[in-house]
Amino acid sequence: MARVKIKKIKKILLKKPLLGGKRPARKIKAKAAVQEDVKVTLGAQEIAIGTTKFSHPEILRQPSKNLPQDLPSKYEVDKMALLVRDPWWLYTYWEVKQTTVARLKSELREEFYKAKRVLRVYDVTNINFNGSNANRFFDIHIHEFASNWYIDVGAPGKSWCVDFGFILSDGRFLTILRSNVAQTPLDGPSWITDEEWMIPDEMFARLYGMGFGQGKSSPAGKTWREKIVSSPGIASMTSPVRKPLKRAFWLRVDCELIVYGATEPDAKVTVQGKPINLRPDGTFTLRFALPDGKQVIPVKAISADKVDERTITPIVNRETK
Amino acid sequence: MNKGYLSLVLHGHLPYVRHPEHEDFLEEDWLYEAITETYVPLILVFERLVNDGIDFRITMTLSPTLTSMLGDALLQERYLKHINRLIELAHKEIERTRWQPEFHNLALMYLSEFSKARDTFLRYNRNLVNAFKKFQDLGKLEIITCGATHGYFPLMDVHRESVRAQVKVAVSHYESVFGRKPRGIWLPECGYYPGQDEILKETGLRYFFTDSHGLLHGTPRPKYGVFAPVYCKGTGVACFARDLESSKQVWSSVEGYPGDYNYREFYRDIGFDLEYEYIKPYIHPDGVRINTGIKYYRITGSGNHKEPYNPHLAQNRAAEQAGNFMFNRQKQVEYLYDFMQKKPIIISPYDAELFGHWWYEGPTWLEFLIRKIACDQDEIRLITPSEYLDENPRNQVITPSMSSWGWKGYSEMWLQGTNDWIYRHLHIASQEMTELAKKYNGVNGLTKRALNQALRELLLAQSSDWAFILGTGTHTEYALRRTKDHLLRFNRLYDDLNANSVDESWLSEIEYKDNIFPNIDYRAHQ
Repeated sequence: MARVKIKKIKKILLKKPLLGGKRPARKIKAKAAVQEDVKVTLGAQEIAIGTTKFSHPEILRQPSKNLPQDLPSKYEVDKMALLVRDPWWLYTYWEVKQTTVARLKSELREEFYKAKRVLRVYDVTNINFNGSNANRFFDIHIHEFASNWYIDVGAPGKSWCVDFGFILSDGRFLTILRSNVAQTPLDGPSWITDEEWMIPDEMFARLYGMGFGQGKSSPAGKTWREKIVSSPGIASMTSPVRKPLKRAFWLRVDCELIVYGATEPDAKVTVQGKPINLRPDGTFTLRFALPDGKQVIPVKAISADKVDERTITPIVNRETK
Repeated sequence: MNKGYLSLVLHGHLPYVRHPEHEDFLEEDWLYEAITETYVPLILVFERLVNDGIDFRITMTLSPTLTSMLGDALLQERYLKHINRLIELAHKEIERTRWQPEFHNLALMYLSEFSKARDTFLRYNRNLVNAFKKFQDLGKLEIITCGATHGYFPLMDVHRESVRAQVKVAVSHYESVFGRKPRGIWLPECGYYPGQDEILKETGLRYFFTDSHGLLHGTPRPKYGVFAPVYCKGTGVACFARDLESSKQVWSSVEGYPGDYNYREFYRDIGFDLEYEYIKPYIHPDGVRINTGIKYYRITGSGNHKEPYNPHLAQNRAAEQAGNFMFNRQKQVEYLYDFMQKKPIIISPYDAELFGHWWYEGPTWLEFLIRKIACDQDEIRLITPSEYLDENPRNQVITPSMSSWGWKGYSEMWLQGTNDWIYRHLHIASQEMTELAKKYNGVNGLTKRALNQALRELLLAQSSDWAFILGTGTHTEYALRRTKDHLLRFNRLYDDLNANSVDESWLSEIEYKDNIFPNIDYRAHQ
């Protein structure tokens, strides 16, 4: 697999935002957005705490040497992958290699430029898909330079496969790439109940509610009873359990006091009766947080032979208005 | 006679952050802070419980990246330097706050904590894994494993060989550290995709966890909801699911315990509050203010005004809340027992770093809870998942549903506009790694070293932490760099191997930088 490392190509590609890693976003369903206030968003607290785990300011560093700075924009492969985002949405990305493009150009000639670029999304639930036996399919028309897409399948609990291809002017669909099969999860309890383990619906409904912290058994469940944890809402990514201080104009002022001096290096010195350490040259520096009020600070030095003694007492008043 | 079980699960994980090439590397502080604020306090809790003869069971993940960092000599040396500096700062603070008794006492408290952290660290020969291992050997703690580098499995399913490598490397690393096989695994971010339990079975893992809906939305319906484990269809690997009610009492922004006004305020740190010249030696060498860990205020209220922290008030609250938590579990268990005619198990998993780092009083709360459960009641019994399975081997068989415990419950946290572009690169690398593992079977020397390093780089690039940080959209520079660096190193190794021209000096350099999993075997990626 040789990689495209020609700078020229990369530059051209980067101008097209679609290939630079950004995607043509499809709007999230309005329905989901409307529900945001009434839904508890799963995992929002975990994100908040996760971010404090990684909290740090941004510091620029020298990039590492010996290697190119950016990942290749192409790998020269024919590849299409299908990923599941949640019960309603899939994500696909793909790449068509240059030789495949060249082959298509020479085979299709004019058609190559006229054909519509399409994602064909197949519902392949419970079947062994052979390209023509899908339960149903739908097409998404995409931009010529798109290389990834979010697909709103809106159907939990199903299996999916996606083709990237062309719709030719005579209406024929030409598959260029085919994805893996991926399965959307259910967004609610399964309708299948095991015979051996049959369980009354009512009992399950109660257990189901309790599983989501809506238990009637404890006071803590109360607040959660009104809230339903199910389909997605939109959570603020930056609001942790405790919100960081809101942006508002503010001012904080504090005072500290530095007391310093010098004596014979071998003298014993106390400040407010507590012994302190001198530097080798006999100097000393003390630093205090200064609260409001009067501080009387006797500094007493006694010579090593205990013959001489000096005391100097600064008195400091702080008053904050 | 107890009527049900409570399984407390602490998920301990940090991504592999180790930068020998820099003297001071900011992100390494994630580890140092977690050691001082979470791991040591938890170890001290476990020690006190054992000394007092209190029986307990905790299940705890120590992710392979975390275990590796705790055991790394360079990071140990750096931690010692870090904690010594903090101790020095605490001494200065004691002096500085002489005329402010409310802060002076807190400075004394921090000095005592930092000194204990250093003592504990030294007592276990600088490797805290020894401490956790000790409690596992005593039967109090069940340490489970995780993905080798905490890769998010559902988005790796198109190349399941990578999921296999994440699990296999993790399991063999666990064996080398703990001297036995792990019984269970914490799937990174609780990310489960149906069928991946086959890999767990292959590696001898007995159980894993999903979020509530992973089990509740499984097929067929689970008879006992989240209050009994199930066996995965086809593999028999057991799946336990999180109980959201007990989770939310701790996590919730509305009523969660950590938000109590008497608790310590996370956001007021002297690294930001104190005069610049004074604090400068204790913040980042570039002069950027950072958290030091010395925090003097309590939450107080929702506004900007903060009152000094009062440890006694906070401790009383932690005791009350532990009582409240236990009371709620007792009620829950009694209710469920009548309803199910069987002893329920309540699974309460939390990020370990929540305790102490974010929620300063968390370890105290945990200690009160364990003591109360041991001494004040007999409805609930603490249990580990493997003990539960030994006592309750008969369970329903279902296929759990794809799920995670992240934002919105599925994969969107790691798959959105800011991070979706990484998968085309990661997947190509997975595909190429499989190709390499197939092509080179049983080679030696330089080629083998290059292949092993290629797997290290791939695994490091797969850490869900990078996608997570990119997903939050702030401070993304480091996560972006890590994703790219590991992939670029992988790409070069792949190209060099194919060209049969591995550059040994460069290989040695990246082996030195990315030294995780010294005994890795590239053939795990198949």
